[in-house]
Amino acid sequence: MEKLIQDLKVQIIAQLNLQDVKPEDIGDDQPLFVEGLGLDSIDALELIVLLQQQYKIKLSNAEDGPKVFRSVRTIAEYITAHQAQTA
Amino acid sequence: MTLYIKGTGNVSPQKTVGHPGFLADGVTHMGTRLACVEPDYKTYIDPKLIRRMSRIIKMGVAAAVDALKESGVAVPDAIVTGTAYGCLEDTGIFLSRMVEQQEALLAPTAFIQSTHNTVGAQIALMLGCNGYNNVFVHRAFSFESALLDAMMLVAENDANTVLVGAVDEITNYSHSILERIGLYHKDIGSNVNLYEEKINGTIAGEGAAFFLLTNEPSTENYAAIRGVRTFYKPTTSQEAETHIRDFLSSNNLTAANIDLVVSGRNGNSAENQVYDEVHTSLFPGNLIVNFKHLCGEYPTATAFATWVAANILKNGVIPGVLNNGVETTLTFRNILIYNHSHNTHHSLILLSAC
Repeated sequence: MEKLIQDLKVQIIAQLNLQDVKPEDIGDDQPLFVEGLGLDSIDALELIVLLQQQYKIKLSNAEDGPKVFRSVRTIAEYITAHQAQTA
Repeated sequence: MTLYIKGTGNVSPQKTVGHPGFLADGVTHMGTRLACVEPDYKTYIDPKLIRRMSRIIKMGVAAAVDALKESGVAVPDAIVTGTAYGCLEDTGIFLSRMVEQQEALLAPTAFIQSTHNTVGAQIALMLGCNGYNNVFVHRAFSFESALLDAMMLVAENDANTVLVGAVDEITNYSHSILERIGLYHKDIGSNVNLYEEKINGTIAGEGAAFFLLTNEPSTENYAAIRGVRTFYKPTTSQEAETHIRDFLSSNNLTAANIDLVVSGRNGNSAENQVYDEVHTSLFPGNLIVNFKHLCGEYPTATAFATWVAANILKNGVIPGVLNNGVETTLTFRNILIYNHSHNTHHSLILLSAC
């Protein structure tokens, strides 16, 4: 899980072109949207694309978005749970 | 309808950002590509917004911010932009990803930022401007069309202040494609040699220039824009002369009343012929300066020329870099910008002192 969280931070910074942000600047449980990193709806789309590209996971229910993308840890948990289901 | 230039902003291949002094030092560019001298955009734009902006958007926003700041107008009634190529860099990124990823899983940002109205929209978003917002994509008439739209908005009492500008960028792709079809002269040396010999081809340019236009006259304004006219594909230089005479006449002027012609000569001997014939026939005794050695050739280069003319009228001086090293101080009343692109898109912009 820890490795996945670190990988996600690097991928999020690259995908969203977060200038002057380093992986260590993003807390595992820090909110990603509005407060915290201050991401917006376009970033949400970018994160959905990231999940599909990097982890072959398609977010089937849009209503799950706010819960899944709350923090880096919740994304990592969602990926882990999804991978366990498909294994 | 006369509009007044209250503020300007210009990101160009010269040192023009932030009003450092009117073309005090010319910037020499080697080769056929004149890239803009860009500022530290973090002083202009919120870092959270910068991350999604490609270069052309940042250039346009910085020019717009400079124009607004100088004019003291926080939010204009309307924003009108001209661009021929639009956001080429993001268009290239988006199209490349479509091919690489076989049209699946496309990230949205490059697509959103690739449309021609991105710059005008981004400025409106930053300012919270919900007023009229339009973009004109009319090749080498794009800036002129934006100006005309601004004049009509004010004439019809739909706006008192209009932010008008033009943006175009060179990218590696666009430059190599345009070079391959022979638009540029490979052995030109530097931009300062542009008019020295008869050559085929010119140099590539880019830039973003914005103007805050108002209907309120003031001696503090840069200049008055009295008229804009475009005409397409004149068959002879005499036909172009007829258009120019008619345009001047409609503004109660003759060629003799023009103190300075800002000419769009671009070094390409084939395209310069029309300029040379018009200058000799219509403006034999008038002062004439060229501007494209400073900004290069691009479809909205007349926005740079408008910035040049406005500054000459405000400062009463032609800087040396525009006039073979000779600085000329005069009282200028009327300046005519005459430009054409590939001898198809001809345009006239008339500016007068305030």
